[in-house]
Amino acid sequence: MKLPNLLAASAIALSAGAMSAQADKADDTLRLAFTKELETVDIYFNSAREGILLARAIWDGLLYRDPVTGEYKGNLATEWKWIDDVTLELKLREGVTFHNGEPFNADDVVYTVNYVANPDNGIVVQRNVSWMDRAEKVDDYTVRIILDAPFPPAEEFLAGPVVMYPNEYYAEVGPAGMALNPIGTGPYKVSSVDPGLHYELEAFDGYHGDPRNAASIGKIDIRTIPDFNTQIAEFFNGQLDFLWNVPADQAEKLDAMGKYQVENAEAIRIGFISMDASGRADADGPMTNPLVRKAVAHAIDRQAIVDALVKGSSEVVHSACAKIQFACEQDVAQYEYNPEKAKALLAEAGYPDGFEIDFHAYRNRPYAEAMMGFLDEVGIKTNLVYLKYSALRDARSKGEVPFTFQTWGSYSLADASAIVGEHFTGGMLDDAKDAEVTAWVNEADSTTDKDKRIGLYSKALKKIADEAYWLPLWSYNVNYVMSQEVSYAPTNDEIVRFFDFSWK
Amino acid sequence: MFRFILKRLGLAVLVAFTVSAISFALLFLAGDPATAIAGENAASEDIAIINAQYGFDRPLIVQYLDWLSKAVTGDLGQSWYFKLPVSQIIGDRLPTTMTLGLCAISFALILSIPMGVAAAARPNSIIDRFALFIAVVGQAIPSFWFGLLLVVFFSIQLGLVPASGSGTWRHFILPTVVLGYYATPAIMRLTRAGMIEVLSADYIRTARAKGLPTRKIMFKHALRNAIIPVVSLAAVQMGFMLGGSIVVESVFALHGAGFLAWESISRNDLPTMQALILIFSMFYITFTFLADVLNAWLDPRLRVG
Amino acid sequence: MTDTSSTNIPISPRQAMIRRALRHKGLIFGTVVMAVVILIAIFAPLLTEYDPYKQNLLTRMKPPVLLGGDPDHWLGTDALGRDYWARLAYGARVSLTIGIVAAVISATIGCTLGILAGYFGGRVDAVVTFLINVRLAMPVVLVALAVVALLGGSLIVVISVLGLLLWDRFAVVLRSATMQVRSLEYIAAAEVLGASLPRILVKDILPNVMNHLIVIFTLEMAHAIILEAALSFLGLGVQPPTPSWGLMISEGKEMLLFESWLITIPGVALFFLVLAINMMGDGIRDVTAPEGRN
Repeated sequence: MKLPNLLAASAIALSAGAMSAQADKADDTLRLAFTKELETVDIYFNSAREGILLARAIWDGLLYRDPVTGEYKGNLATEWKWIDDVTLELKLREGVTFHNGEPFNADDVVYTVNYVANPDNGIVVQRNVSWMDRAEKVDDYTVRIILDAPFPPAEEFLAGPVVMYPNEYYAEVGPAGMALNPIGTGPYKVSSVDPGLHYELEAFDGYHGDPRNAASIGKIDIRTIPDFNTQIAEFFNGQLDFLWNVPADQAEKLDAMGKYQVENAEAIRIGFISMDASGRADADGPMTNPLVRKAVAHAIDRQAIVDALVKGSSEVVHSACAKIQFACEQDVAQYEYNPEKAKALLAEAGYPDGFEIDFHAYRNRPYAEAMMGFLDEVGIKTNLVYLKYSALRDARSKGEVPFTFQTWGSYSLADASAIVGEHFTGGMLDDAKDAEVTAWVNEADSTTDKDKRIGLYSKALKKIADEAYWLPLWSYNVNYVMSQEVSYAPTNDEIVRFFDFSWK
Repeated sequence: MFRFILKRLGLAVLVAFTVSAISFALLFLAGDPATAIAGENAASEDIAIINAQYGFDRPLIVQYLDWLSKAVTGDLGQSWYFKLPVSQIIGDRLPTTMTLGLCAISFALILSIPMGVAAAARPNSIIDRFALFIAVVGQAIPSFWFGLLLVVFFSIQLGLVPASGSGTWRHFILPTVVLGYYATPAIMRLTRAGMIEVLSADYIRTARAKGLPTRKIMFKHALRNAIIPVVSLAAVQMGFMLGGSIVVESVFALHGAGFLAWESISRNDLPTMQALILIFSMFYITFTFLADVLNAWLDPRLRVG
Repeated sequence: MTDTSSTNIPISPRQAMIRRALRHKGLIFGTVVMAVVILIAIFAPLLTEYDPYKQNLLTRMKPPVLLGGDPDHWLGTDALGRDYWARLAYGARVSLTIGIVAAVISATIGCTLGILAGYFGGRVDAVVTFLINVRLAMPVVLVALAVVALLGGSLIVVISVLGLLLWDRFAVVLRSATMQVRSLEYIAAAEVLGASLPRILVKDILPNVMNHLIVIFTLEMAHAIILEAALSFLGLGVQPPTPSWGLMISEGKEMLLFESWLITIPGVALFFLVLAINMMGDGIRDVTAPEGRN
């Protein structure tokens, strides 16, 4: 076991790859892997990206948002109109059946909406459903959804997380049965579920085929492989056809091998640093001082991190939301990289020699480390506290976290309320607790007047930037790596649409 | 013998109980369970609802006793993460870990006992040195690195075995080697040391003097005595393996109970975690208990203790 | 291995031991490697002009000179452009500290419990034996993971957790060794003469078990270092940017299939350190107890 031997040993690994012909196209099965064990396939009882991927294949929403144009189209509903601010009437598509043969009609919609809108049923992501009060049947193919209060992004939710379940089946089997044997109207039906480990999907012959295409690839086979190196190894071996969420460095190397298709797509997710402006963690802490927060903003070379680590289509963001989201004001205060200015600001704030502070993070450790390196340069010594998401979120809810690197995927919703509404309205994740901002955002989220919403969000986002409550960092991107046999055009919402895959 | 077994059993139950109490207290402090159940994208109101639903506001001791009284009747509760009965999930995963553990311990024994015997037969020979080399390397190489190196060679490069999964026996080859190798050094050392000691004992010298063939002396007389501590050690190692195969299961995507335990920690899935710790410690206790009984049978002198 | 050659000239046991030590290749190898690592750890600042924490995002993952890299960084740079040799050299401090301190903590707990059990016997012994059983029945890695996940990984947390979990072997050996010594007549005599417990411990018991202790100490030290690497692999070891070898391995793992030197360099370093510690332990046992070797 000499050093050169070992070095050589692991280096030749790369020369491999000329593997046996892939049998996947032949048996019409697309193979991919999940990194995480998905808790349940029932979309209302998980909050994971993997769950969304499966849900988009298995179920349909009432509406559909075209991922390219952003336009809303009818899906299980063909027409929809607002009767008043809180009543939406929808005409349903006729002739649709569920995978188990149950016909789709108004009863399914009424049942699903009433079930998920009832807080007692414990839907995991309440935000997705709590805006609806109930649904009423008008006739077999007409329903009305009644809201608690005006809710501007209703269409976005009806096209995304709110999918329709078969009423008779769900009433009989409940979430546990749905998890093991999911039934929907979507382009793929589920042929087997091994909870958390293995899922097999099969194209649904009876799919209604509008506005989404019917599935082109016959079978989808999804295994959970927790170690990413193992995923790449299986990809080299031809046991996987598709890798998603490939880290930037690995994607570059795979691209350089010239044997695979590497695609990069933007994501709605942004990264940000939240600072304890309201003094929950430490009433006299440095982060309560706007000068210090601005110093942090000037100290970190976000562009350098994007160029070296995040890569892809990511860019530095200045506003506390994703560019493609509705009402995400871009004309806000910007803090350029300027360590001298940062030091001056720190001195002005009374910290000429800097200070020491805990820095909490839960993902992208290298990015966190790089930021710590920059902060160190201006005298801010950080101790990294790297926790599991749940533990960090818990600490944040209790207001114990003064300074943290966070990301937010906005549930793939293209509306600023999905991020600003969650973080600046006085809730447990609100580190700023700015009454003015809270009032603006609440007002914006209770009106359907689009111009008024844009104006209110603009005011809120400008103040967030002026006060440097957050340091918005960068937009995220996702790398997809595919074998040469696969054809797929990724979209900008981190969602992999199996029905859009085909063989070359 | 009966009294001996009864006494050991009583102790075993007490140990299991203590382990479960300690781990319950530890795990419960490991972060807010409600947040874990709600998941990454959950909003604040989701968490409040869950807190009320699951009764996390009750005192810790009440929650523990509640859990214990159900566990005794075989009801291990519902997984907070999968929303399925814990017994069902563990039942799905345990066979993988058991298979891996049994293969690995067999691999370790098959590798280490003959090597230990051979090394003891001729101390300081090439064989002895080779055995020692195998042992020290086994102790020093981090198992995840070893595992990934094997994947690179035997799976990617040579295409001989699958890199991950648990579908066929071929899937178990690499993980068995990695996990088994981890247990090899200790067993081999003990075999060697035991054999050297026994071989210098009077009755072996007598046997030799009487002209019995070496092979017969080695395997019939010497090994039978030298194996006693090895049995205990193998039992201990087996117990460790079932709980300690986390890393190996993670590298090879084996989805056994070890990996489930680790994932359950990160998901704060207390019912699963709690059940697994109980099961792992029960395994350990059972194996050591069986080893004690086996040893008492092999060597009646031990029955007194 | 040991070479118990008999000589005609009578020599003192100590001389014989030294002689055996000098002939023991494993012991010499282990000691030399250990010494080198310790020297590197102590003189790290003199061995490199780079700061192990200083990042440079423009020079990321430059390969070592051996693989055609930049002579400025002879072992290359890591994913944040930090000098790999500097991190390795300073990392030796962290890895050694983890091993030594964790072993000291375990030794303290284990010896105390073991001696108490062995000396007093009876109920004290029953309690300690029970504790040892409970400890052995706990899956170490799982418990360590749970605790580190709870408290967040830091050098202190990792060392304490490992220290608190690895004491069983000390306790077992000290318990039986103390029992053995306790039954000797001269201890009883010393007691009758009114010697205090600490005195008996220091004068009679500890010297008798010292070589056992050293061997277990080395084993547990190696064990702690390997466990820290495993914790790091699972993302719960020492926190970055602290340069521990385990952490370097876990960071290098990301690029295992593409820039394998990133994991190979700290992997080999860790391998040799643990190998050396184990060989030292073996050597000490062989040299101090030439007959048995068990």
